[in-house]
Amino acid sequence: MFERIMGMFETVANEGHGSIALVFVIGILFGGIIQYSRVDKFEKIAGFAMLRDTVVPKMLFLAVGVASIGLYFMIEAGWAHYHIKPILLGGLIIGGVIFGVSMAIFGKCPGTGPVSIAEGRIDVLVGAIGGLLGGLVFTLFYEPLFKPLMGPDLGKSTLTGVAGDFGSVTILVFGIALVAVSILIPLRQEFDEADLKRLG
Amino acid sequence: MIRRIPWWVGGLLMALLLMFTFSVFGADRPIGASTYVPYFAGLLFNLDPEQYGYLKEIDSAGAWEGVMLLGALVGGFVTSVFITKSFRFSIIPTAWKKYKNGSVVSRLSWSFASGFFMIIGARLAGGCTSGHFLSGMSQTAISAMIFGGIVMATLLITGRLFYKKEAQDV
Repeated sequence: MFERIMGMFETVANEGHGSIALVFVIGILFGGIIQYSRVDKFEKIAGFAMLRDTVVPKMLFLAVGVASIGLYFMIEAGWAHYHIKPILLGGLIIGGVIFGVSMAIFGKCPGTGPVSIAEGRIDVLVGAIGGLLGGLVFTLFYEPLFKPLMGPDLGKSTLTGVAGDFGSVTILVFGIALVAVSILIPLRQEFDEADLKRLG
Repeated sequence: MIRRIPWWVGGLLMALLLMFTFSVFGADRPIGASTYVPYFAGLLFNLDPEQYGYLKEIDSAGAWEGVMLLGALVGGFVTSVFITKSFRFSIIPTAWKKYKNGSVVSRLSWSFASGFFMIIGARLAGGCTSGHFLSGMSQTAISAMIFGGIVMATLLITGRLFYKKEAQDV
């Protein structure tokens, strides 16, 4: 296993997607922002599922709205590239339903889970062990079972691609609309007891 | 030190990190977080990538996200100990006690099962909250919008059906 872990670092080092140190720092910032804004909490994610807390959708819509406009102009300037995921309709629909149900019950997602483990949440650690076994099952039965479920590749379409010449107008409308939605969603918060105590 | 940042500061910081990661000065790729799970399962159970086509497919993405995840653990730990001061060992979230039940067995078995299915769902869809929502929607990818709409709908329906409407005494 040690060799395989070294292999992981080697793969990252040999690819043009940032040095090991840079990728690690991106991870630190990712975990730090999530933890500092507290969106990894069960109260925030399951709370959103119960409509008792709206911090997660507010933050998500704002981040996407701002980043969509920023990315578009970075790409025009040659500073970035799009990396679009293909439309595999079966996978997106079946996977989306399974993911949505699990996210509401678990109160975590694959990005916020590790951050919660890092603050001492034992239930999330147990969920992560379940996740590892899920990953194992997916890997073992990918070709016979899961790949046929995912369906044919319907291409890597984007809204800006569909809009053609109106790409920059579309992206401005899209970005501003998402930012507006993030501001208009009423702010509701559900704190846990430990949080309330620390807030004083 | 401020113990938490408001949603809009978090959102702006996340947008900046996303743009930096995408840029040629950063990693020239999107942020994703669910590919590392089957990748780590491959490492842990010592599965041969030559034998399992899926491991071959995710070799480079899984490695990248694996290193990022180690960073996220460190970032989450340092922030929770020194900044938000929220580090503590706990088994049942407060809101689970309030809206579901106070049973350790119940919470742990639901955690295990939902963790298991969450990864299968994410891998079927080819991404998760990070890969589809954050990275995909920012590129206005249609795939991300399909996933996002379905997840939002099932999340809210499950939240309504699975939890109690009234808060219980904790």
